[in-house]
Amino acid sequence: MELLANLQLGFEIALTLQNILYCLVGVFLGTLIGVLPGIGPVATIAMLLPATFTLPPVSALIMLAGIYYGAQYGGSTTAILVNLPGEASSVVTCLDGYAMARQGRAGPALAIAALGSFFAGTVSTLILAMFAPPLAEIAFKFGPAEYFSLMVLGLIAAIVLAHGSLINAIAMILLGLLLGLVGADTNTGQFRFTFGLPQLTDGIGFVVVAMGLFGFSEIIANLERRAKREVVMAKITSLFPTRDDLKASWKAVLRGTGIGALLGILPGGGATLGSFAAYALEKKVAKDPTRFGKGAIEGVAGPESANNAGAQTSFIPLLTLGIPTNAVMALMIGAMTIHGITPGPQVMTERPELFWGMIASMWIGNLLLVVLNLPLIGIWVKLLSVPYRILYPAILLFSCIGVYSLNNSAVDVALALAFGFLGYLFIKFDCEPAPLLLGFVLGPMMEENLRRALLLSRGDPTVFVTRPLSLALLVAAAALLVIVVVPAVRRKRAEAFQE
Amino acid sequence: MAEFFRDLAGPSRRTWLHALIFVFGACAASATLPQDYPSRPIRIIVPFPGGGTADLLARQIAQTMSEALRQQVLIENRTGAGGNIGADLAAKSKPDGYTLLMGTVSTHAINPNLYAKMPYDPVKDFAPVTMVARMPNLLVVHPSVPAKNVAELIALAKARPGALAFASAGNGTTQHLAGELFKKMAGVDMIHVPYKGNAPAVTDLVGGQVQVMFDNIPVSLQQVRAGKLRALAVTGPVRSPVLQDLPTVAEAGLPGYSITSWFGLYAPSGTSPQIIARLKKVHSGDIIIAHLNKPASDTGRGMAQGLQALVDQGFSFVRLDASDVRPPQKRI
Repeated sequence: MELLANLQLGFEIALTLQNILYCLVGVFLGTLIGVLPGIGPVATIAMLLPATFTLPPVSALIMLAGIYYGAQYGGSTTAILVNLPGEASSVVTCLDGYAMARQGRAGPALAIAALGSFFAGTVSTLILAMFAPPLAEIAFKFGPAEYFSLMVLGLIAAIVLAHGSLINAIAMILLGLLLGLVGADTNTGQFRFTFGLPQLTDGIGFVVVAMGLFGFSEIIANLERRAKREVVMAKITSLFPTRDDLKASWKAVLRGTGIGALLGILPGGGATLGSFAAYALEKKVAKDPTRFGKGAIEGVAGPESANNAGAQTSFIPLLTLGIPTNAVMALMIGAMTIHGITPGPQVMTERPELFWGMIASMWIGNLLLVVLNLPLIGIWVKLLSVPYRILYPAILLFSCIGVYSLNNSAVDVALALAFGFLGYLFIKFDCEPAPLLLGFVLGPMMEENLRRALLLSRGDPTVFVTRPLSLALLVAAAALLVIVVVPAVRRKRAEAFQE
Repeated sequence: MAEFFRDLAGPSRRTWLHALIFVFGACAASATLPQDYPSRPIRIIVPFPGGGTADLLARQIAQTMSEALRQQVLIENRTGAGGNIGADLAAKSKPDGYTLLMGTVSTHAINPNLYAKMPYDPVKDFAPVTMVARMPNLLVVHPSVPAKNVAELIALAKARPGALAFASAGNGTTQHLAGELFKKMAGVDMIHVPYKGNAPAVTDLVGGQVQVMFDNIPVSLQQVRAGKLRALAVTGPVRSPVLQDLPTVAEAGLPGYSITSWFGLYAPSGTSPQIIARLKKVHSGDIIIAHLNKPASDTGRGMAQGLQALVDQGFSFVRLDASDVRPPQKRI
């Protein structure tokens, strides 16, 4: 019953008027920056850090955390409405979310994203409260070999993402891997494909590629369709999901929550994998996988739940160990520092009010987000009826501001435009950008961990199969490959026989 | 159509003229009247991402500066190329005192020796304002490593060459250089395993994938206190105030060994000496230390708390009289 006492302590702190207010400010700001394409939580939190000097530490951290998971919510809004993924995790939301929007079902897509996220947030907050310390230990079981095997599994799952040709999907993944090579090599410090440009030494930014390939190219392609240029192709039917929608998505929400919560704990890119993995799983378990990419509501519900569950559980290594899992968590460490809290394994015991207060506030924040977002759906959907000659320039402008604000770099904006034209070519050639992006994100991590694992094993490649966790992941990857490839091969053979 | 363009051109030409007058006026003012400095907001370029050590320090001192100068001080993060992009931008900015740089051991000492082509000259292109803070690294090992002190670690590494691996936050970071210097001075062989930043490196160190690290104090100190890592020594020339019992590497077996991370404030070269003097005054460690002891306002109290946290994590703010920013040492 210690848990109840702790949760009570947490809610006593989180439910003070002041802290509810800061939580609301946080999630509201988060939603706002999430909706603005390209402007992410990292820049926002960095800018707001000094403003929190005068606040009590708990209030400050509650607000900053709210910005983070609020942005996750907001990010899915632009992904669904205008095909602009602000973060790696919302790329897959674009696939079916935007398809739904074009069918006039933006409302149900947004609603299911919000409800799924709320459910995932609730469950993972509970997980965080009950099992944070033992779960944190998982992070230490994952060495370079395990990460490599996890990335292999992720890349094979990337093939499942595509709904068109298998060959095209593999080609796009390989192209993504190549793009991921740009920049300084972590192991040797050598520059690769930087063409002497200092702006390329840290690689190409994810947002730059995603904005170009998804958002910009979609706008170019839309301009070409002279007859129907509006974003929404069909009449908007209803704002809220129907009974059938809910029936179709509740299992997806459950599965997404599980996957997302688990992967969110892993430092080093686990959280990014969550939404991809959830999408791949939904497509595999679906009775009719061909619906995916054409507006399947499970394709929104699963990844969105995974995304939010991961956003919550990625706080576990931070709060229990003082180790950040991503750039936002690194900023949270900075925030704790300037508030006189030294992040580390002792925070839980020395500052229980902070630890439990933050956990309780996350649940409250998720509740506030649903309350905030459900009424907003109507407004968002109305946004789509804005004429394209106003909407498109506005999207382009905000995207450019967002891309520029990442590094205050004009080179990034130019690159995003170049990727926009490339993306247009991809649409023409019927190549889907989602597998490319996954290759782009996972490739560098895979290479880094492969080489690090070999460095640590002194060049012995058996390390990947002698470590049990790594072996298990590789076996799963092999099994997935068989599941993906065998039906395709069989189909080919069937076609051959018919001829 | 033509009319539209004429309308567009008309007011805009006039606006340009105004803008030009304004710009020249501003130039003239800043060139002749440094005593009015600062008459508009100052920006400090931080060549590293938000939330990092350099960024936190810069944001802290921006507050101190802002109070003392009664002018806004803005932080601009310009990341990339190991800090070279931001430092280059500062080097090529107008030397009017309104653009400053939060330079570090990387931008002004390591990178010039690491990169084949440098966009700026760390000595000629900058006028040092003041050293802000210093911090030694901490030599830590995974608890499974039998060595209890530096001498035992050297003996262990000598007995089994190449068996120990040391982690770093990347090639050319202080963690890497501290390890290489250790290898060279002790005559031992350890494998260098670079990571992308501190956090993943410490995670693998605590998980026992790597055995040794010369880490920045803030990250690993907490792991040492929790018993997840064992600290053997600090890398600086003197002991760290937060770890008084811990010897320096030099004391513990490698005389002359010294690696310190430092952070200094720079202006582009050509900035008027009066402005530099003014900045020195408001910016020195003395003010920060005074803030620590007796915060003047509400913001001051919040800030003092943050500054104290930095001190608790191993930073020492540098007093103005004690040392100025020295030219980079080419030894590394």
